Amino acid sequence: MAVTDQAESLPCGVRLEELLAQVADGAPPADERHQSACPYCQTALRRLRRGWADVTDFTQEPVNVPRRLTAQIMARVRVLAAQTADFILLGHPRGETRVSDAVVVRTAQRLARTIPGVVYASARVEQHDPPLPDRRDLSMRLVVTLGPALYRLADAVRAIVRRQTPRLTGAQLDRIDIRIDDITR
Amino acid sequence: MNGQVEDSILVRAAQDGDVDAFEELVRRYQTSVYRIALRMLGSSADAQDAVQETFVRAWRALPRFRHDSSVSTWLYRIVTRRALDKIASRRTTGTLDEVDLGGGPDPVQAAEHQERFRAVKQAIANLPPEQRAALVLREFEGLSYQEVAHVLGASVPAIKTRIHRARLIIIRQTSSWQ
Repeated sequence: MAVTDQAESLPCGVRLEELLAQVADGAPPADERHQSACPYCQTALRRLRRGWADVTDFTQEPVNVPRRLTAQIMARVRVLAAQTADFILLGHPRGETRVSDAVVVRTAQRLARTIPGVVYASARVEQHDPPLPDRRDLSMRLVVTLGPALYRLADAVRAIVRRQTPRLTGAQLDRIDIRIDDITR
Repeated sequence: MNGQVEDSILVRAAQDGDVDAFEELVRRYQTSVYRIALRMLGSSADAQDAVQETFVRAWRALPRFRHDSSVSTWLYRIVTRRALDKIASRRTTGTLDEVDLGGGPDPVQAAEHQERFRAVKQAIANLPPEQRAALVLREFEGLSYQEVAHVLGASVPAIKTRIHRARLIIIRQTSSWQ
């Protein structure tokens, strides 16, 4: 059978693609009275429905995403992120230790999420003014649940981040600005 | 828990350099992005490449994302372009992966089922690339004609024509339609 992408018409003049749109999209017939009485349209519709069912079944087949795909993507993204990331510098007589700002950010995020009511936390470090090798300012964004007083929740986040981040990373935090972006139930 | 966080918040966090927020976006959209790539390219290996490149490009392009379209539309646009580029760079039609239907109770029925799916898959692979992209977005992802037009940067009438023609080709190749 020759395959062409040209639209075809039935002997009654109705275009095949119109009937196929009816089957695939659930579109209403252009002329319902004609269609219900026309043997050509009725036969074509029956055959198209049968044929299109295979396509519909195939579109609903679950797709198995390869298990390591997320890890592979994120490995590449983390390399890119590291290329632009800054470091805090911790001096020591026997050498220096560098801790990526990304580590400071992730530490602050995870600490924030330990506070009840915090659903999501993101953070960004900013250079302290004047720039110092181990000092940073921090901007945090939160999504929280409805319930706790927002200012208390923000204070609790600020307190744990200020207390624990220097202990865990060596970064000294001056300003910690907190913005609550959204609230969930 | 992160399911409660809107995409726009995750995008803003990712724009600030938050890799974890970007990872959450990857988890949310990788299945549909992978399905688009797989149905356009027909091969799991090519689809994985296209998906990785899609998200790496998305990460690089984050500073330019202006929140005037949804994250899904943005990612679908990137992955369809990647897939179209890959198709254009092929000299011949790529090898199609086998359709995995698992072990059904009736081997004859399972074989017939597999044969029908293989025919649909082959018919999709034979479509001209622009028609294939439009059809995949419409039939597999359930996008409206308008959304498909937005993703592919074409007019709605042009997209309708592409999809209608693609459907006709598939129905002729997969059934006994004369």
